[in-house]
Amino acid sequence: LNNNNSLVSGTVTVKFGNDINTDYIVPAYILQEAWDKKFFADYAFERYSPDFIKTCRANENKDNIVVAGKNFGCGSSREQAVYAIQYNNVKAVIAESFPDIFFRNSINNSFCVVKVESVDDIPLGAKVEINLEELIVKVDNGRIVKQILMNEEERNLLVSGGRLGKVRERLREKLLTTN
Amino acid sequence: MQQTIVEKIVSRVAGRKVHTGELIDILPIDKLYFNEVIAPPAIINFQEDFRAVYSEAASSRNRAGEIAVWGENGKSKVKVFDPSRVCFIPDHTVPSCSVKVAQGVNLMKQFASDQGIKMFKEGDGIEHTVVTEEGFVRPGEVVVATDSHTDTVGAIGALGFGIGTTEAEYALATGEIYDFFVPETYKFEITGDFRPGVSAKDLILTILGRVKEGGCSKKVAEYSGETIRRMGMDGRFTMCNMSVEMSARTGIVNPDEVTSQFMLETIARHPELSSELSSKMADRSFSGVRSDDDASYASVMELDAEKIEPQVALPHSPANAKPASEISDEINVVFIGSCTNARHSDLIEASKILKGKKVHPNVNLLVIPASRLVYNWAMNEGILKIFADAGANIESSNCGPCFGKHMGVLSPGDRCLSTSNRNYKGRMGSPDASIYLSSPATAAASAIEGKIADPRRYYAA
Repeated sequence: LNNNNSLVSGTVTVKFGNDINTDYIVPAYILQEAWDKKFFADYAFERYSPDFIKTCRANENKDNIVVAGKNFGCGSSREQAVYAIQYNNVKAVIAESFPDIFFRNSINNSFCVVKVESVDDIPLGAKVEINLEELIVKVDNGRIVKQILMNEEERNLLVSGGRLGKVRERLREKLLTTN
Repeated sequence: MQQTIVEKIVSRVAGRKVHTGELIDILPIDKLYFNEVIAPPAIINFQEDFRAVYSEAASSRNRAGEIAVWGENGKSKVKVFDPSRVCFIPDHTVPSCSVKVAQGVNLMKQFASDQGIKMFKEGDGIEHTVVTEEGFVRPGEVVVATDSHTDTVGAIGALGFGIGTTEAEYALATGEIYDFFVPETYKFEITGDFRPGVSAKDLILTILGRVKEGGCSKKVAEYSGETIRRMGMDGRFTMCNMSVEMSARTGIVNPDEVTSQFMLETIARHPELSSELSSKMADRSFSGVRSDDDASYASVMELDAEKIEPQVALPHSPANAKPASEISDEINVVFIGSCTNARHSDLIEASKILKGKKVHPNVNLLVIPASRLVYNWAMNEGILKIFADAGANIESSNCGPCFGKHMGVLSPGDRCLSTSNRNYKGRMGSPDASIYLSSPATAAASAIEGKIADPRRYYAA
């Protein structure tokens, strides 16, 4: 997600069910083997859905959207799970719910995660446009329009590219006011 | 208005009275700790993300003399917010199991030494066990760490949250987390006594089986009632530890006499902490960190401990709990260890069953005490000898095969019964292995029989 960019679009290339945990997204054995975020792309869903990478990379120019059911990203706090998805040219995950750790990790990486009431009517292959300004998801050029369930603060953080700017400002204040 | 323990703890650090659902823009934290999975990238990102801010602050400050403390050769150096409130614990795959892991641990040692941060040694133990045993985390504190099982510290009445690399790196710089919603609380009210052979693990697996993996999402799990009040600290650690398996923000128990006793024992082992800790405990007597009687809860579930049977979570979900008496699947690996179940009372329960017995010829039994303290205690008490005589492999303290990277990685076709917290497909190695979860008692009985066994027959009067 680019700064001040509130439009995200792509094609639904992968659809998952409920309770996809971060062990499924990226296995533990690889987490300590690199300190570079892009490294983890090659291990996305390695033990759960080995086709994930092939599907995402089938067309180099394709922007992928992942759709999932409830509780996407549960379990371990490993942030590498976000990188593994993000660096497979996935532009967003649309799911029915996200546990907090994964949601916060995603926002901190400016990775677009949006919650909608139901994903039943978002089929594989659908063209999706996520509008964070209006908080809607348009499926197949507006054939279906879905409300994004997201509060103001989360939306602003996502659109403005995460928290780093805010944290740097806090640190600057603290350094300049310390006795 | 009455408050939950969560609201009270958050109110203290926020500096005002807060209630559930409120958004806290800036939440100061009390403690922060890192394992060796996340510390190396967090250290690197921390230096990159904040170097420029330090340089700018250094040049715009009038009191140039102070800046020199941070600088080397006129260059500002990024400092952590408060080294005394941070610690590093290498625990997931130590002694190092790969060159990159060893490199990461050395990076931590160097950074810790530069910054004055306490770095624990390989084998000192699993992070969540170490921080409570060593008195680093105290009742009523807000604690963040780079591991989802930070919820474990809720057992002593601390509010612990697992966070990712980026949030941890930010907290390292400022001692704060941002945009924090005060979570609702789901109260689990437990009454009655456990029957012999039944323990906290069976209770939390029963709860998980009812609420399922997403059942406590966005909420804190508070465990209370007479059963919890009578439960030792080890059982409370087990309960809080697995809160995240139902997607809870964290788990917590109201501090009480048991907590106080635990803290007194900690002080006895660490006289250097005694004045600071004693005064804190006297001040609080925990009244400021206990849920009010009329506090408001999002949900309440009541359970009778007497009706709970030994439970086993079947592959591939911790919420897939069934009574052990209904299962007799053959197994070839048993792991007694992890941040869930490898403390004093866990090892005692398992050793009582294994005493004078042999591990089944088909079973590889791994025993990994949760910390050096537990390891040395079990050695001195003869507990380790019981395991060794039975034919167990005993390893130095670390997360062990639960992390699926070393010390007993599973092959396709392996069937493992583990006292850990997650049995996701592929968690401990091959996705074609099967993982079952249980209490230490059930694990010990099953190690003897070579199949999943109800431990209650070993408790016959």
